[in-house]
Amino acid sequence: MIRLVLTVLAASALLSAEAPAAVPVDERVVHELAAQLRCVVCQTLSVADSPSETANQMRQIIRERLAAGETPEQVRQYFVQRYGEWILLAPPKEGFNLLVWVVPFVGLGAGLVLVVIVLRRWSRNPATVSSTPVDPAMRERIRREMSGGGHP
Amino acid sequence: MIPELGYAATVVGFVLALYGAIAAVIGVRTGQANWLRTGERAAIGVWLLITACIALMLYAFLTFDFSVRYVAVNTNRGTPFYYRITALWGALEGSIVLWAWMLSVYTLIVVVRYRRRQPELYPWVLSVMLGILAFFLLVMSIPAPPFERLSPIPPDGRGLNPLLEDSGMITHPVALYLGFTGFSVPFAFAMAALLVGRTGDEWITITRRWTIVAWYFLSLGLLIGGWWSYHVLGWGGYWAWDPVENAAFMPWLTGTAFLHSVMIQERRRMLKLWNLTLIILTFGLTLFGTFLTRSGIIGSVHSFTQGSIGVFFLAFLALALLGAFSLLAWRTDGLRAQGELDSAVSRESVFLLNNLFLIAATFTVFFGTVFPLLSEAVRGVKVSVGAPFFNLVNIPIFLALLFLMGVGPLIAWRRASAENLKRNFLKPVLAGIVAAAVLRLFGVGNVLVLTAMALVVFVAGTIALDYGRAVRARRRSGDGWGAATWGLLLRQNRRYGGFIVHLGILVVALGVAGSQAWQIQTEVTLDKGQSVEVDGYRTRYRVRFDGLSASEESNHGKVTGTFTLTDGRGKEEVLSPGRKFYPQEQTPIAAVDYRLGIFEDVYLVLGDFARDGSQATIKLQVNRMVSWLWIGGLVLTLGAALAILPDHRKPA
Repeated sequence: MIRLVLTVLAASALLSAEAPAAVPVDERVVHELAAQLRCVVCQTLSVADSPSETANQMRQIIRERLAAGETPEQVRQYFVQRYGEWILLAPPKEGFNLLVWVVPFVGLGAGLVLVVIVLRRWSRNPATVSSTPVDPAMRERIRREMSGGGHP
Repeated sequence: MIPELGYAATVVGFVLALYGAIAAVIGVRTGQANWLRTGERAAIGVWLLITACIALMLYAFLTFDFSVRYVAVNTNRGTPFYYRITALWGALEGSIVLWAWMLSVYTLIVVVRYRRRQPELYPWVLSVMLGILAFFLLVMSIPAPPFERLSPIPPDGRGLNPLLEDSGMITHPVALYLGFTGFSVPFAFAMAALLVGRTGDEWITITRRWTIVAWYFLSLGLLIGGWWSYHVLGWGGYWAWDPVENAAFMPWLTGTAFLHSVMIQERRRMLKLWNLTLIILTFGLTLFGTFLTRSGIIGSVHSFTQGSIGVFFLAFLALALLGAFSLLAWRTDGLRAQGELDSAVSRESVFLLNNLFLIAATFTVFFGTVFPLLSEAVRGVKVSVGAPFFNLVNIPIFLALLFLMGVGPLIAWRRASAENLKRNFLKPVLAGIVAAAVLRLFGVGNVLVLTAMALVVFVAGTIALDYGRAVRARRRSGDGWGAATWGLLLRQNRRYGGFIVHLGILVVALGVAGSQAWQIQTEVTLDKGQSVEVDGYRTRYRVRFDGLSASEESNHGKVTGTFTLTDGRGKEEVLSPGRKFYPQEQTPIAAVDYRLGIFEDVYLVLGDFARDGSQATIKLQVNRMVSWLWIGGLVLTLGAALAILPDHRKPA
């Protein structure tokens, strides 16, 4: 327990030691970048969202690198080089990964074509009866309900 | 002693379920009612045995019987009483027990309700239900035995996953599993209808109501899951597109598709084949979801332990799908219906599009969820598919669905005339455009959010228009206000139940759009007595750090911060977020505190702190409209309850 608290303390000490800021860092850019990266210890949460210590440190790294004058793209590349493509919450739209971006829309397109074909086939058989047939019982019921005394 | 008894009950239950499934079929094949009766008794026996398993497990938990491995892993002597009960389904093995128990309850309900009413379908339904039960009891016997012995017996247990020590633990899994297992009933009826060759109207009526029950519980489970995520996980969100969330979301989407396309079959006798496919798919997806979450093949915040269980689920899934689709193929001839349509501008087309988009959403979620596996298999490279992907691809689909939600209920069947379109949609469309314009004036710049809001107003407009018209018609025919408003809801419960469910979805959609569009968050380190200010929508919040205190709870240590929240009107409130340190966990667990509001929640997470209490880092968020998700859930409940009521339109 005490060890834990100490680790936490060490981490907070790290945080308070501010890096020499060469370039003013826009927190919105930090957030935008962090939202694209996966928190290493908590599986699906982004670095922006995760409350974990690791995410905290990763945000700090983003801040420091931006402050040192790197472009957001360079910071992204830094994380990709360090952790692999896995760190990006959305796979880059290139190579094999294009599949995941394209296939859903191809599927949707194919589905649309299918719906159009089905509708056309149905339309070749316009309904023979001009309106839904109303059976006498229903007609009677409608009459009763319209006259106001229609509680069953 | 407990482990042996429990294991015996499980194995006997498995044999009995298998026996009952076969006996029911023999009964229907030979025409001997006795066989069917023993099948029924087997169903009752299975229910008793699984209930006994649960009772034994509870007893083991309450008496700290650490000779049961599951108990030793999921509790320790400090675990509070309440969580020793919910720990029952806190991990893999126990969750299967709960699952099986619910399935056995559904089976009993089927026995009681349909043994006389549906003499033809009933034996097959019973057989299929018992067959599914047999599978789950097999899982409890071999790959995931909840009563596995542990030796030597440890002096204390490991303890429950701290994230599960929350009141959501009782509602979230229960609702979710009631939804998952509930889809077995429509599946069983679909199989029975195919086997008997009666794919006419009765099974559709029964199936529709059971699907609403399952769908409702699943919706509730998903929303409570969101609430849990929001107030326990400490990241200020409710949906992370986690594989497990996706696994629960997919059957919800296909179930929703079925509830809509079933109306085409009821009204126009079309799409029989498609509806059966949807039911099979929905059931298959509940199994697939379980496979995904239990096999550990995909990392997730919900990850359960690994083991051979994945193989069992995959095999059963393959068996169920193969069997079901073979049956479907065998009966195809009887299911083909001549489609008839007068015009592409009609309710039929809208329902088809609704189904298309729901299936597209399902497919997107499915493909995104399994893509990392594909990538690893093909390229050997690990990739992640997370929120940025799912949001980007799914948002257009959901917006299209919102639009259809407004069009579908009011457009005419068969052929919509220009007059019909103008009468029903002119005013709602105008209302939507005006709403978007007004929001734009108020500074909402995000196009997606504006579109979503406009669509919500449009759909709400169509509902209001339709309801208003119906009420006026009733008034003209002499009803009082009460009969015209409430009476109408009851008289046309299916239509208006559906409308209320739509309203609930609209409220949820507002919550999602609002919370995605405006979230303010800041991370700051405060000295004692120091304040931080953030601007909310109409007011400025000030949070002052007043100090830290430490406490020792029964199974963890806790550091609690005291913060004073002041809003623009000078109202003060104390918020106490903390961090919990569990001996069995390496990292501390956040205990979030928040002030909920209709339009804004103030959400406070305690980060690092100085040990002497002089300094604390906090994450402060102002989340907009998140409460609308929970309100939408309540509205949904009302609508679903209304839609389940017996149909009043049936001729007496």
